[in-house]
Amino acid sequence: MLLPEPDQTILCRRDEIISALKRFVPAGAVIDDDTTMAAYDSDGLSAYRNQPLVVVLPETTQQVAAVMKWCLDNDVKIVPRGAGTSLSGGAIPLADGVLLGLGKFNQILDIDFSNRTVTAQPGVTNLGITQAVQDEGFYYAPDPSSQIACSIGGNIAENSGGVHCLKYGLTTNNVLGIEMVTMNGEILRLGGKHLDSGHLDVLGVMTGSEGLLGVVTEVTVRILRKPATQRALLVGFDTVQEGGQAVSDVIAAGIIPAGMEMMDNPAINAAEDFVNAGYPREAAALLIIELDGPEAEVDVLINKVSKIVKTSGASSIRISQSEEERNQFWAGRKSAFPAVGRISPDYLCMDGTIPRKALPEMLTRMSAMSQKFGLRVANVFHAGDGNLHPLILFDANADGELHRAEEFGAEILRTCVKLGGVLTGEHGVGVEKRDLMTEMFTEDDLKQQQRLKCAFDPQHLLNPGKVFPVLHRCAELGRLHVHQGKLPHPDIPRF
Amino acid sequence: MTVWQPKTGEQVTNIVLSALAERRKLSVSGHETKAGLGHPVDAKESLSLTNLSGIVDYQPEELVLVVKAGTPLDEIEKTLSEKNQMLAFEPPHLERFYGTEGTGTIGGLVATNLSGPRRVSAGAARDFLLGFAAVSGRGDVFKSGSRVMKNVTGYDLSKLMCGSFGTLAVMTEITLKVLPCPETSSSLSLLCDTIDSAQLALANAFCSDTEPSGGAISRANEGWQAVIRLEGVDVSVRDRMTKLKSTLQSARTSKVLDKQASEAFWENWRDISMISDDAEQVYRLSVTPSDAPKIASSLLKAYDLELGFDWMGGLIWIGGKGAGLGQKVRQTIKDFNGHATLMRGTEGHRRDVGVFQPQAAPLAALARRIKNAFDPEDILNSGKMGTIGRGA
Repeated sequence: MLLPEPDQTILCRRDEIISALKRFVPAGAVIDDDTTMAAYDSDGLSAYRNQPLVVVLPETTQQVAAVMKWCLDNDVKIVPRGAGTSLSGGAIPLADGVLLGLGKFNQILDIDFSNRTVTAQPGVTNLGITQAVQDEGFYYAPDPSSQIACSIGGNIAENSGGVHCLKYGLTTNNVLGIEMVTMNGEILRLGGKHLDSGHLDVLGVMTGSEGLLGVVTEVTVRILRKPATQRALLVGFDTVQEGGQAVSDVIAAGIIPAGMEMMDNPAINAAEDFVNAGYPREAAALLIIELDGPEAEVDVLINKVSKIVKTSGASSIRISQSEEERNQFWAGRKSAFPAVGRISPDYLCMDGTIPRKALPEMLTRMSAMSQKFGLRVANVFHAGDGNLHPLILFDANADGELHRAEEFGAEILRTCVKLGGVLTGEHGVGVEKRDLMTEMFTEDDLKQQQRLKCAFDPQHLLNPGKVFPVLHRCAELGRLHVHQGKLPHPDIPRF
Repeated sequence: MTVWQPKTGEQVTNIVLSALAERRKLSVSGHETKAGLGHPVDAKESLSLTNLSGIVDYQPEELVLVVKAGTPLDEIEKTLSEKNQMLAFEPPHLERFYGTEGTGTIGGLVATNLSGPRRVSAGAARDFLLGFAAVSGRGDVFKSGSRVMKNVTGYDLSKLMCGSFGTLAVMTEITLKVLPCPETSSSLSLLCDTIDSAQLALANAFCSDTEPSGGAISRANEGWQAVIRLEGVDVSVRDRMTKLKSTLQSARTSKVLDKQASEAFWENWRDISMISDDAEQVYRLSVTPSDAPKIASSLLKAYDLELGFDWMGGLIWIGGKGAGLGQKVRQTIKDFNGHATLMRGTEGHRRDVGVFQPQAAPLAALARRIKNAFDPEDILNSGKMGTIGRGA
């Protein structure tokens, strides 16, 4: 995985760039010593490190705008960064780029219960929003597993999901407004506390744009009333086929659970070894199905789901009778990543999505790949929406294993696309899946996406080297190739 | 006027390419049921998607529907209802409102991003567009999104396509997320003295754990009527209704609408029943819900208006007449925050007050650059979104 070659002229201008940046931000907000900068040299894709040219930590939107405008005028690249938890390398620094950290934007600005909104600065953590409103019985629905650390601004950049997005949607479905700064230093306000602003939905396309289109400096999200009751079923299956069938059967019965998670046998055992959640070790697949809402409704649905999964072939069913038991069901799933970390020196966490019905097929193919590459794999899925998280186990110190693990991961993602799915369900493309984009998109698809980029950042200065395998110059992308008179005259009904 | 009626995506491409070669502008349309929405298009030729129709793939257990862009909305709704599923954003049927025939096409619906009462709980049309295939104003065939629920691969161009009024690209195929229909529904209707107290009742309902899926305020004989909808499993709806009544017991009088009455009310409300055919100008105001009473009072002071609220107060429908009404609406929205769309008006009104709320200059410039990125020669629905959507 290669980042663009650093521009030597920029590296030579480092001192000049540093002193220029110091004019725009308070003392101490420019970090240029190697030791302190080391904290920023990586993100959640920790196999890759790169030292930034310099780190800037602005405190106000105006400072962000001034820094960006100066960088545009001086042809200097910028990599925006929230909490640095990206699993796809979205915040990996560039040696010739300014790392723009939003960590000092850490205030909640407004809590409005009557309109059910929270307005926060982008550095506030995802969980911080819920914590600010939970005493009044509210919460912010998207719950990525990094929610304790990841920032809401980063959530906008990555369009983060989580366990509960099956019922409550991804970030994009829960954001009402943002303030953002474009590469030319303009401050834009999109949306607000109202819905559907009319005009082109710039807010919608900013969400999930991986820091390539603008820097978010304020966020307004919708909060929800906490459901009255939450209960879960823990269902074991002798075969993954039956488990996959159960997922389809529940949805086909018109039930949208709050969460529907699946683990395969290696993941079940790793989790069981780690937290003793009481999972059936012999099961080939385990489903956690959570239902939430008014008590009467949850009781009815628990019974319905219980009958459905029995018909689909469940070998064991437990239904949570208390909050304690429900949390115990989740304990294994929530600690699946560290649990796998215990049984292997390193692991790669993949993130493809497939149509739900392709789950069994995917698992069969994955076992074959595991054989082929000689690496173990443990699977946890957001099964309800077909989002896979295969964990490929490897040892970075063993010669060639990282490379083999990456090859394995790439083959999994290619298979996802072949089965009608996509490369990434919630982690983003970043640098990790950048070179696989052509598996899913044609050249014209990618060029159209890059033309959109050109509308925001024609010099490709904002987070370059991420998402797109090939960077086309905007002038080249804008050129029209029209062959006048040579077109076949379309033989089409008209009147 | 020449009307092109392609039957395949390839034919759409050829029409766009030949128009592009000669810089001929195209008016992109479906059944033209919503032609009254948006600015008049500057084009002598029309590209009609009506023959590009039909369901490509429907997988109820995957909650996914793939259709050609010209598929009629009623055909889609009929197909879904056979499997007890629906378009959860509750698309309005605007044939009465616009005096046109038929429910229109799915392409037209997505292009206008219109959503009904359930918008407030389920999301908008834009939240259900999983992916699409289209031909850009450059004549390039491209796609974005997918057929799966969870996808963050590349820019989410679906969001841009929703509400772009056909100014960026001609959609040929559309993939939507669908949801199961609720088992039953019931609504609570409360008589309130003022708009403020009605809005407060809605806010309290939505802040409670009764999970409302609709909140409207309509004019009543003596005061204002707040209506709150509950949907879901039968036992749950009954349970929540009891809770809702006790939460809102301070209202003057209340009445429960059973499934049939509730469905009838919301279907009418969805189709803008609060506005009569006589209203010469109709505006749709998307605002912060708690601002709604102030905004409405300010407008009612100056004009005699037909008026109704949806989306917990966050959507105000206004019908009326008068030379200065448009400017008054624009100024009021500017003073608060939000967006006013002129939904019905003569060409003169649409020209004078604009169809959309004016944008800040940097945002309008960005919108022009985005248009330029898809349709640099401005051949698709030129002028439909006013100067803001026009290529630079």
